[in-house]
Amino acid sequence: MEIIELPIETLKEAVWNVNQVDESMMQRLRVSITKYGLVQNLVVRQVAVGYEVLSGNHRLKLLKELYITMVPCVVVDIDDAHARLLAQALNHIHGDDDLGLRAELIREVLRVLPEKEVLAILPETPGSLSGMASMGQETIATFLQNWEKARAVRLRNLIFKMTQEQLLTIEKAIDQILPEAKRQQGISPNARGTALYLICKSFVDKEDKHDN
Amino acid sequence: MTSIRTNQIMVAGSYPSTALHDLRLIPISRVDAKKLIVRNHYSHSLPGGTKMSFGTVLNGRLLGVMTFGVGPFYGYKLVDGATPDDVVTLTRLWLSDELPRNSESKVLGVALRSLKRDTSLKFVLAYSDPAVGHLGIIYQATNWLYTGLSTATPLYDIGDGTLHHSRSLAHQLGSHSIRYLTLQGINAKAIPQSAKHRYIYFLDESWHSRLGVPVLPYPKKERDIDGNN
Repeated sequence: MEIIELPIETLKEAVWNVNQVDESMMQRLRVSITKYGLVQNLVVRQVAVGYEVLSGNHRLKLLKELYITMVPCVVVDIDDAHARLLAQALNHIHGDDDLGLRAELIREVLRVLPEKEVLAILPETPGSLSGMASMGQETIATFLQNWEKARAVRLRNLIFKMTQEQLLTIEKAIDQILPEAKRQQGISPNARGTALYLICKSFVDKEDKHDN
Repeated sequence: MTSIRTNQIMVAGSYPSTALHDLRLIPISRVDAKKLIVRNHYSHSLPGGTKMSFGTVLNGRLLGVMTFGVGPFYGYKLVDGATPDDVVTLTRLWLSDELPRNSESKVLGVALRSLKRDTSLKFVLAYSDPAVGHLGIIYQATNWLYTGLSTATPLYDIGDGTLHHSRSLAHQLGSHSIRYLTLQGINAKAIPQSAKHRYIYFLDESWHSRLGVPVLPYPKKERDIDGNN
């Protein structure tokens, strides 16, 4: 195995490369290479004309975009089957982050670097990043007390399954009483739910009066 | 449906038993819980309706997950006068083999005490699947009440290559009624499932007397003629 600097025009993407990267991930890779440089060598093998890239096909695209002329490469001498196998191995043999340790690591990073800079490189959203950073920062007691408060005020679901004909009739009744339901939004911010409640209440009140 | 350990065998973990004191239970997101459950739990799935997810942390590492959710639709009816708001079901429990012995009972104890202290929940249900060799030893060790085998809910085959839970089928098609689906031209079949050991734990002891089913002796491993497990 040797590491040599090769002219970029001699490097060719492997036509059999199955690894796909979308534009948002390419942008993160672009930011990373621009900021830190090419910190990982490409893995290539010599073919009839030039070198075929086994690992680093996406980086190669970006290096061309950045007008890099010489690229550090690990050159291997292997046949077609082993080239494909090595590419798969390089893409798929990796560990999984421990989520607890990762949360602490992200907190350390965010203590120094702004969130925007971190999000430009890591494939996270603002929500997922802050969720990660806050793991373990809340006690169970606080969590459960908040959960208890939230469920006390949550609006309840009532799901019915019905035929199209039944649904149209109910929708018609709801539409008719909706203006009144909107006037009574203090009961619930969900006007259609209130409309259904008013219809049922009217029925129950009528039945009660009838019974008395 | 719960799992005791990754390989179902109680082995001494990588951490000494003194580390038991350092175990922490923390709230985690459903997304993180799902990642760990899908990767490590024998079911490789997290059911819908998850209400709370907790992680087990030792030395900063997240080495276990416990989730509570809605569970069976009529689970609350086991207790007279209960409503769906009075109960949660322990839906998944996975702890890494690296954790010390007795970690299960320690974290389950912490979770139950917290639910008792900080919520108005009255009881918790849990199920163990005998089809995969589970008896619910952890529930026996933490003094849950055993109420026998639950009525098994069938899964549904509608010919799309997936077995559907009745709830997801009702969500997708509006009903899991075989008669209704057949009338609509869907060839639906109910696939019977094995019943599960059902346990109940009262967070509010005063509700114990409302239990509408008898409490039975804990199920034990069957022994062969030579007395081996």
